[in-house]
Amino acid sequence: MKVTFPHLGSMHIFCKAIAETAGIPYIVPPETSRKTLTLGALHSNECICLPFKMILGNFIEALQKGADTIVMVGSGPPCRLGLYDLVQKVILEDMGLHYRWLTIPPRLTWRAIWKNHEETKELRKELSAKNIFLFPYGLWMGWKKMMACEALEKLAMKVRPREISKGETQRRWRQALSWVDGAKTPKTLEGAVKKGKTLLQEMEQDHSRIPFKVAIVGELYTVMDPHINRGVEQKLGELGVEVTRTSWFSTHILRSVRQNKANQASERIRFFEASKAYLDYDVGAECNVSIGEAILRSKEGYDGVVHLMPFACMPETTASGILNKVGKDWDIPILTLILDEQEIEGRIQTLLEAFVEMLEWKKGVA
Amino acid sequence: MEKRGRIGIPRALMFYRYFPFWQSFFETLGWKVVVSNGVRQKGKIVYFEDSCLPMKLLVTHAIQLKEKVDHLFIPRLVSLHRNYIMCPKFRGAPDIVRLATEGHVPILNETIDLREGEGALLQSYLKTGKRLGATKKETKRAYLEAKKTFNQFQKEWKDRINRLPTGRLFEMDIPTPSEGSKASWRVALIGHPYNLYDADINKDLLTLIKSLGMEIITSDSLSEEEIERGVRDLSKEIYWSSGREIVGSLFNFLSEGVDGVIFPTSFKCGIDALLQEFIKRRLKIEGGPSIPLLILSFDEHTGREGLVTRLEAFRDVMEQRRSDGQIAVS
Repeated sequence: MKVTFPHLGSMHIFCKAIAETAGIPYIVPPETSRKTLTLGALHSNECICLPFKMILGNFIEALQKGADTIVMVGSGPPCRLGLYDLVQKVILEDMGLHYRWLTIPPRLTWRAIWKNHEETKELRKELSAKNIFLFPYGLWMGWKKMMACEALEKLAMKVRPREISKGETQRRWRQALSWVDGAKTPKTLEGAVKKGKTLLQEMEQDHSRIPFKVAIVGELYTVMDPHINRGVEQKLGELGVEVTRTSWFSTHILRSVRQNKANQASERIRFFEASKAYLDYDVGAECNVSIGEAILRSKEGYDGVVHLMPFACMPETTASGILNKVGKDWDIPILTLILDEQEIEGRIQTLLEAFVEMLEWKKGVA
Repeated sequence: MEKRGRIGIPRALMFYRYFPFWQSFFETLGWKVVVSNGVRQKGKIVYFEDSCLPMKLLVTHAIQLKEKVDHLFIPRLVSLHRNYIMCPKFRGAPDIVRLATEGHVPILNETIDLREGEGALLQSYLKTGKRLGATKKETKRAYLEAKKTFNQFQKEWKDRINRLPTGRLFEMDIPTPSEGSKASWRVALIGHPYNLYDADINKDLLTLIKSLGMEIITSDSLSEEEIERGVRDLSKEIYWSSGREIVGSLFNFLSEGVDGVIFPTSFKCGIDALLQEFIKRRLKIEGGPSIPLLILSFDEHTGREGLVTRLEAFRDVMEQRRSDGQIAVS
């Protein structure tokens, strides 16, 4: 058995940590590339959302590298995420690829646990007692690594707009992530995080700069994965913008196991409440949060909002229509970027440059 | 009797399934029902959001009505089934219309969510009735009357599709003709009701199909059990009722031996994009009888001429298949 998982954001780092710690053989899909996307787009159609294509591409590449068991986080209604597995299974089968599929339930209900139990029946025969014994420890290690990745990314978002030599933050951040990825024990992990944080903090910075503050909102995979959004976070940072976002793996995992008490989750409730003047019902996924966050960020004095969504995304299409109105009503510039498989990196760079210039102009006028 | 006022119903989305119910309900309550005309000429669509064509048409129709009526009826259709839901865009539809019409007209936007139980539908209409100043008793009577009309309408639906022009399908004062012309092909039409019957979306596909000598059966004429039979074996439940209807009816029609299947979709429809990939692959893997399947994607730029060519080719494939079959038998 060789398990594999999507490459999404920092997900591959902590999924690998779980498998590695529990001693389960795994294959990390090759880093998402143009080829991954081309594979994904070739085997789906133009109106299927981009995360679907990226993940499909990851799976195809991993299976071709010798993986045989796909582990995928499930999701539920109302958006298409919840049916990714139904369609991806048929596509892989049609391509003649052999795989086994394991869905991690999105919400811990008895029904989900039972289904999970059924799915894992076969797989568990291949696991040793040691694997099963170490699995909870693996999960814990995975969680720690996820938190480490998020802490480092947040720090990178903070220092990037103040960097003196362009691209330095990105280099150091990637270095720090590879240390985290390489850590095998809690102790080395702790050391790696500390070392990574110092590496980022000690970078030469211009502290006199007052960067623009921009919030990134939108569909969660698009917001979290730099390959899907073509590095919007990095690009904005390097244009001298301090970026914030509230969508992290930990936010969504905590939400799905109903641990909403954490600060991040209560912030989401605040956003949700704020959206009510525009949208009087929970549309699903991030739609209401995107709208609410844009409104509150305007009140909090942010300079702008960047809204990310995959082309033809069902909930975010509603959000983008309403955000148009929100931008006018609250006098906050909102840039909606619709992402698909086309070669759009250059276009995004130009759009972001124009957006930042507009922020400068707005500040000069005000 | 003097009418209490005018209720505007946009000729869009679920109009194409529930209009007889809605019309009967409001007329029994003593209101005049005004329906928008549609967008006959290109370029008159209102682009409030960059959504699928059916959604843009809803906004367009609502704006057309806003000056002419006292209320717009745009229910928040969350779920129309005990277990399944509607496309998420339907949940935001009343808000989108409210923002697009800039609050010029009050919107009757009560939520319909049948996952809450059997009584949820009546509850929703009771709320609508209350907003219109009707008593509970009056509303209940109107609701029952509407249900009766709707049941009758559903019984005649199969015949209406084949015997009436597309524009007349939902005009309840026009009776269903007792006799239709004889057709040489039996073609199944699967899809969302608005994609099947809205001539602004599909360039009057129904008339084209009928003019080529085909008899139509549609996915919305199947019973719940027949749909269920078609989707029973899937590894995961399709939770959109429309998507489930499309896939379930397709497998049902294929097994009962239609001559061909046509699946009109709207460009950018999330549900159709995902499910058409599923359908195509699944049919390929399963093999079996190669009944022709035509997937048509529509947006505001689709031309009628190309459509005619594709339908004629589709008929040729069916013809070829029939003649091949005869040779094999003899």
